[in-house]
Amino acid sequence: MEYTSIKWGAVNEGDALPEKSREITRTTVVSTAIATRDFQDVHHDHEAAKKSGTKDIFLNILTTGGLIGKYLTDWSGPEGELKKVDIKLAMPCYPGDTLVGTGSVMKKYEENGQHLVEIGYQMATASGGPHAMGTAILALPE
Amino acid sequence: MSDELYDKLQSMIGQVTGPYPANDEVNAPMIRHWCEAMQDGNPLYTDEEYAKNSKYGGIIAPPQMVQAYTVPCLWPADEDKVLNTLEILTELMDGSGFPYVVATTTSHEYFTPMLPGDKLSYTLEFASASPLKKTGLGQGYFLTVLYTYKNQNDEVVCKQPFTIFKFKLN
Repeated sequence: MEYTSIKWGAVNEGDALPEKSREITRTTVVSTAIATRDFQDVHHDHEAAKKSGTKDIFLNILTTGGLIGKYLTDWSGPEGELKKVDIKLAMPCYPGDTLVGTGSVMKKYEENGQHLVEIGYQMATASGGPHAMGTAILALPE
Repeated sequence: MSDELYDKLQSMIGQVTGPYPANDEVNAPMIRHWCEAMQDGNPLYTDEEYAKNSKYGGIIAPPQMVQAYTVPCLWPADEDKVLNTLEILTELMDGSGFPYVVATTTSHEYFTPMLPGDKLSYTLEFASASPLKKTGLGQGYFLTVLYTYKNQNDEVVCKQPFTIFKFKLN
Protein backbone atom coordinates (compact mmCIF):
# COMPACT_ATOMS: atom_id res chain seq x y z
CA MET A 1 0.00 0.00 0.00
CA GLU A 2 1.21 3.52 -0.81
CA TYR A 3 1.30 6.18 1.87
CA THR A 4 1.98 9.84 1.30
CA SER A 5 3.24 12.45 3.73
CA ILE A 6 2.92 16.21 3.66
CA LYS A 7 6.17 18.04 2.92
CA TRP A 8 7.16 20.95 5.13
CA GLY A 9 7.83 23.06 2.04
CA ALA A 10 4.22 22.65 0.91
CA VAL A 11 2.70 23.84 4.20
CA ASN A 12 1.80 27.47 4.87
CA GLU A 13 0.94 29.23 8.11
CA GLY A 14 -2.83 29.56 8.23
CA ASP A 15 -3.50 26.31 6.37
CA ALA A 16 -6.51 24.48 7.78
CA LEU A 17 -6.34 20.79 8.65
CA PRO A 18 -9.31 18.79 7.34
CA GLU A 19 -12.24 18.42 9.73
CA LYS A 20 -12.64 14.81 10.91
CA SER A 21 -15.52 13.29 12.87
CA ARG A 22 -15.65 10.20 15.02
CA GLU A 23 -18.82 8.82 16.55
CA ILE A 24 -18.13 7.86 20.15
CA THR A 25 -20.17 4.81 21.12
CA ARG A 26 -20.27 2.91 24.38
CA THR A 27 -18.03 0.36 22.65
CA THR A 28 -15.55 3.13 21.76
CA VAL A 29 -15.33 4.28 25.37
CA VAL A 30 -14.87 0.75 26.73
CA SER A 31 -12.57 -0.59 24.01
CA THR A 32 -10.24 2.41 24.20
CA ALA A 33 -10.21 2.30 28.02
CA ILE A 34 -9.10 -1.33 27.84
CA ALA A 35 -6.59 -0.78 25.01
CA THR A 36 -5.02 1.99 27.09
CA ARG A 37 -5.14 -0.28 30.19
CA ASP A 38 -7.24 2.18 32.15
CA PHE A 39 -9.62 0.18 34.32
CA GLN A 40 -11.03 3.07 36.35
CA ASP A 41 -14.72 2.28 36.75
CA VAL A 42 -15.95 5.61 35.32
CA HIS A 43 -14.75 4.46 31.89
CA HIS A 44 -16.76 1.22 31.75
CA ASP A 45 -19.34 1.09 34.57
CA HIS A 46 -22.40 3.26 34.03
CA GLU A 47 -23.64 3.01 37.63
CA ALA A 48 -20.23 3.88 39.06
CA ALA A 49 -19.93 6.82 36.67
CA LYS A 50 -23.34 8.16 37.77
CA LYS A 51 -22.36 7.81 41.41
CA SER A 52 -19.22 9.83 40.73
CA GLY A 53 -21.38 12.70 39.48
CA THR A 54 -21.21 12.35 35.69
CA LYS A 55 -24.18 11.43 33.52
CA ASP A 56 -22.53 8.41 31.93
CA ILE A 57 -19.21 6.67 31.34
CA PHE A 58 -16.76 8.91 29.50
CA LEU A 59 -13.57 8.75 27.43
CA ASN A 60 -10.35 8.47 29.42
CA ILE A 61 -7.51 10.97 29.00
CA LEU A 62 -5.16 8.52 27.30
CA THR A 63 -7.74 8.01 24.59
CA THR A 64 -8.21 11.73 24.14
CA GLY A 65 -4.44 11.90 23.59
CA GLY A 66 -4.52 8.92 21.25
CA LEU A 67 -7.28 10.41 19.12
CA ILE A 68 -5.46 13.76 18.93
CA GLY A 69 -2.29 11.95 17.82
CA LYS A 70 -4.27 10.07 15.19
CA TYR A 71 -5.90 13.28 13.97
CA LEU A 72 -2.48 14.93 13.55
CA THR A 73 -0.63 12.06 11.86
CA ASP A 74 -3.63 11.25 9.65
CA TRP A 75 -3.09 14.78 8.31
CA SER A 76 0.71 14.71 8.12
CA GLY A 77 1.11 11.15 6.90
CA PRO A 78 3.48 8.63 8.50
CA GLU A 79 6.63 10.71 7.98
CA GLY A 80 5.22 13.42 10.21
CA GLU A 81 6.66 13.00 13.71
CA LEU A 82 4.86 14.10 16.83
CA LYS A 83 7.27 16.12 18.95
CA LYS A 84 5.02 17.70 21.54
CA VAL A 85 1.29 17.73 22.23
CA ASP A 86 -0.28 20.07 24.81
CA ILE A 87 -3.79 19.18 25.88
CA LYS A 88 -6.23 21.39 27.76
CA LEU A 89 -9.07 19.21 28.96
CA ALA A 90 -12.58 20.65 28.79
CA MET A 91 -15.95 18.84 28.65
CA PRO A 92 -16.09 15.05 29.09
CA CYS A 93 -16.95 13.01 25.99
CA TYR A 94 -19.85 10.57 26.48
CA PRO A 95 -21.29 7.71 24.42
CA GLY A 96 -23.50 9.24 21.74
CA ASP A 97 -21.24 12.26 21.24
CA THR A 98 -19.53 12.88 17.95
CA LEU A 99 -15.99 14.17 18.31
CA VAL A 100 -15.06 16.68 15.64
CA GLY A 101 -11.39 17.45 15.12
CA THR A 102 -10.32 20.74 13.54
CA GLY A 103 -6.99 22.51 13.37
CA SER A 104 -4.73 24.92 11.56
CA VAL A 105 -1.05 25.61 11.03
CA MET A 106 -0.09 28.40 13.42
CA LYS A 107 3.65 28.50 12.85
CA LYS A 108 6.20 27.05 10.48
CA TYR A 109 9.86 27.14 11.52
CA GLU A 110 13.22 25.37 11.58
CA GLU A 111 15.06 24.39 14.73
CA ASN A 112 18.12 22.16 15.24
CA GLY A 113 17.92 21.03 11.63
CA GLN A 114 14.29 19.97 11.97
CA HIS A 115 11.43 21.29 9.87
CA LEU A 116 8.63 21.98 12.31
CA VAL A 117 5.04 23.13 12.32
CA GLU A 118 2.95 24.18 15.27
CA ILE A 119 -0.68 23.16 14.95
CA GLY A 120 -3.55 24.64 16.94
CA TYR A 121 -6.23 21.97 17.24
CA GLN A 122 -9.57 21.38 18.89
CA MET A 123 -11.62 18.26 19.53
CA ALA A 124 -15.23 19.33 20.06
CA THR A 125 -18.29 17.28 20.85
CA ALA A 126 -21.19 18.03 18.57
CA SER A 127 -23.46 18.34 21.65
CA GLY A 128 -21.34 19.73 24.45
CA GLY A 129 -18.71 22.15 23.18
CA PRO A 130 -14.97 21.66 23.43
CA HIS A 131 -13.64 18.34 24.74
CA ALA A 132 -9.93 19.10 24.37
CA MET A 133 -7.81 21.71 22.68
CA GLY A 134 -4.25 22.85 22.49
CA THR A 135 -1.16 23.05 20.35
CA ALA A 136 1.05 20.37 18.90
CA ILE A 137 4.48 20.40 17.26
CA LEU A 138 5.28 18.04 14.40
CA ALA A 139 8.47 17.56 12.41
CA LEU A 140 7.75 17.10 8.70
CA PRO A 141 9.95 15.87 5.86
CA GLU A 142 11.48 18.85 4.06
CA MET B 1 -2.60 36.21 54.80
CA SER B 2 -0.31 33.26 55.37
CA ASP B 3 -1.36 29.98 53.85
CA GLU B 4 0.17 27.03 55.69
CA LEU B 5 -1.04 24.51 53.13
CA TYR B 6 0.54 26.47 50.28
CA ASP B 7 3.81 26.74 52.23
CA LYS B 8 3.69 23.00 52.88
CA LEU B 9 3.13 22.34 49.15
CA GLN B 10 6.03 24.63 48.23
CA SER B 11 8.30 22.74 50.61
CA MET B 12 7.42 19.46 48.85
CA ILE B 13 8.24 20.61 45.31
CA GLY B 14 10.96 18.52 43.72
CA GLN B 15 10.00 15.31 45.56
CA VAL B 16 10.36 12.32 43.23
CA THR B 17 9.04 8.78 43.55
CA GLY B 18 9.95 5.81 41.40
CA PRO B 19 11.30 4.61 39.07
CA TYR B 20 8.34 2.33 38.37
CA PRO B 21 8.99 -0.36 35.75
CA ALA B 22 6.42 -1.11 33.05
CA ASN B 23 4.46 -4.34 33.38
CA ASP B 24 5.10 -5.31 29.77
CA GLU B 25 7.80 -4.62 27.23
CA VAL B 26 6.70 -2.53 24.27
CA ASN B 27 5.11 -5.15 22.04
CA ALA B 28 3.28 -5.55 18.76
CA PRO B 29 0.00 -7.01 20.11
CA MET B 30 -0.55 -4.09 22.51
CA ILE B 31 0.26 -1.67 19.69
CA ARG B 32 -2.29 -3.42 17.46
CA HIS B 33 -4.94 -3.35 20.21
CA TRP B 34 -4.35 0.37 20.69
CA CYS B 35 -4.60 1.08 16.95
CA GLU B 36 -7.73 -1.07 16.64
CA ALA B 37 -9.51 0.87 19.39
CA MET B 38 -8.30 4.29 18.18
CA GLN B 39 -8.83 3.34 14.51
CA ASP B 40 -5.30 4.61 13.85
CA GLY B 41 -3.96 3.28 10.55
CA ASN B 42 -0.53 4.91 10.68
CA PRO B 43 1.62 2.29 8.89
CA LEU B 44 4.55 2.94 11.24
CA TYR B 45 2.42 1.25 13.90
CA THR B 46 0.51 -1.25 11.81
CA ASP B 47 2.30 -2.18 8.59
CA GLU B 48 5.49 -4.20 9.15
CA GLU B 49 6.42 -4.01 5.45
CA TYR B 50 6.22 -0.21 5.40
CA ALA B 51 7.88 0.21 8.78
CA LYS B 52 10.79 -2.07 7.83
CA ASN B 53 11.81 0.43 5.18
CA SER B 54 11.36 3.46 7.46
CA LYS B 55 14.18 5.01 9.45
CA TYR B 56 13.09 2.95 12.46
CA GLY B 57 13.63 -0.40 10.70
CA GLY B 58 10.36 -1.82 12.04
CA ILE B 59 7.10 -0.87 13.67
CA ILE B 60 7.11 1.60 16.55
CA ALA B 61 4.51 2.22 19.22
CA PRO B 62 2.29 5.31 18.89
CA PRO B 63 4.15 7.85 21.07
CA GLN B 64 0.95 8.74 22.94
CA MET B 65 0.87 5.11 24.11
CA VAL B 66 3.75 5.55 26.56
CA GLN B 67 1.54 5.73 29.65
CA ALA B 68 -0.43 2.61 28.70
CA TYR B 69 2.63 0.46 29.41
CA THR B 70 3.03 1.81 32.90
CA VAL B 71 -0.53 1.86 34.27
CA PRO B 72 -0.57 -0.11 37.54
CA CYS B 73 -1.90 -3.68 37.36
CA LEU B 74 -5.45 -4.55 38.40
CA TRP B 75 -4.08 -7.76 39.86
CA PRO B 76 -2.14 -8.88 41.80
CA ALA B 77 -2.15 -6.15 44.41
CA ASP B 78 1.25 -4.71 45.28
CA GLU B 79 1.60 -5.67 48.94
CA ASP B 80 4.66 -3.48 49.51
CA LYS B 81 3.18 -0.47 47.78
CA VAL B 82 4.48 2.91 48.89
CA LEU B 83 2.48 6.02 47.98
CA ASN B 84 3.66 7.77 44.80
CA THR B 85 3.96 11.53 44.46
CA LEU B 86 0.42 11.96 43.18
CA GLU B 87 -1.02 9.78 45.95
CA ILE B 88 0.97 11.64 48.61
CA LEU B 89 -0.46 14.92 47.31
CA THR B 90 -3.96 13.49 47.12
CA GLU B 91 -3.76 12.28 50.71
CA LEU B 92 -2.49 15.66 51.91
CA MET B 93 -5.19 17.59 50.03
CA ASP B 94 -8.00 15.23 51.06
CA GLY B 95 -6.90 15.61 54.67
CA SER B 96 -6.77 19.39 54.33
CA GLY B 97 -10.38 19.71 53.17
CA PHE B 98 -9.89 19.73 49.39
CA PRO B 99 -11.41 16.36 48.43
CA TYR B 100 -12.50 16.98 44.82
CA VAL B 101 -10.28 16.61 41.80
CA VAL B 102 -10.39 17.41 38.12
CA ALA B 103 -7.60 17.00 35.55
CA THR B 104 -7.02 20.28 33.71
CA THR B 105 -4.01 20.02 31.39
CA THR B 106 -1.48 17.49 30.26
CA SER B 107 1.32 17.53 27.74
CA HIS B 108 3.57 15.01 26.07
CA GLU B 109 7.00 15.87 24.78
CA TYR B 110 8.63 13.03 22.85
CA PHE B 111 12.36 12.37 22.60
CA THR B 112 13.04 8.73 21.68
CA PRO B 113 10.70 6.37 19.80
CA MET B 114 9.41 3.18 21.47
CA LEU B 115 10.28 -0.06 19.69
CA PRO B 116 9.04 -3.57 20.48
CA GLY B 117 11.27 -5.03 23.16
CA ASP B 118 11.86 -1.73 24.92
CA LYS B 119 11.51 -1.84 28.70
CA LEU B 120 10.09 1.42 30.01
CA SER B 121 10.04 2.91 33.47
CA TYR B 122 8.97 6.25 34.84
CA THR B 123 9.52 8.60 37.74
CA LEU B 124 6.95 10.99 39.14
CA GLU B 125 8.07 14.40 40.40
CA PHE B 126 6.06 17.10 42.15
CA ALA B 127 6.72 20.05 39.81
CA SER B 128 4.62 23.00 40.96
CA ALA B 129 1.66 24.26 42.99
CA SER B 130 -0.43 27.38 42.51
CA PRO B 131 -1.61 29.62 45.33
CA LEU B 132 -5.23 29.13 46.42
CA LYS B 133 -7.48 29.88 43.41
CA LYS B 134 -11.20 30.38 43.11
CA THR B 135 -12.82 28.93 39.99
CA GLY B 136 -16.30 28.04 38.78
CA LEU B 137 -15.91 24.58 40.31
CA GLY B 138 -14.73 25.68 43.72
CA GLN B 139 -11.58 26.87 45.43
CA GLY B 140 -8.35 24.96 45.56
CA TYR B 141 -4.88 24.50 44.19
CA PHE B 142 -3.53 23.60 40.75
CA LEU B 143 -0.91 20.90 41.28
CA THR B 144 1.46 19.76 38.54
CA VAL B 145 3.37 16.51 38.56
CA LEU B 146 5.94 15.50 35.96
CA TYR B 147 6.13 11.97 34.58
CA THR B 148 9.51 11.19 33.01
CA TYR B 149 9.54 7.98 30.98
CA LYS B 150 12.83 6.30 30.08
CA ASN B 151 13.80 3.15 28.20
CA GLN B 152 16.28 0.42 29.19
CA ASN B 153 19.16 2.52 27.80
CA ASP B 154 18.31 5.37 30.15
CA GLU B 155 17.14 7.48 27.19
CA VAL B 156 14.23 9.80 27.91
CA VAL B 157 11.23 8.65 25.87
CA CYS B 158 8.70 11.22 27.01
CA LYS B 159 8.17 13.99 29.55
CA GLN B 160 4.61 14.50 30.65
CA PRO B 161 3.54 17.31 32.96
CA PHE B 162 0.03 16.63 34.32
CA THR B 163 -1.98 19.24 36.19
CA ILE B 164 -4.93 18.63 38.47
CA PHE B 165 -7.15 21.04 40.38
CA LYS B 166 -7.73 19.79 43.95
CA PHE B 167 -10.65 21.74 45.36
CA LYS B 168 -13.56 22.14 47.73
CA LEU B 169 -16.95 23.37 46.67
CA ASN B 170 -17.67 27.09 47.04
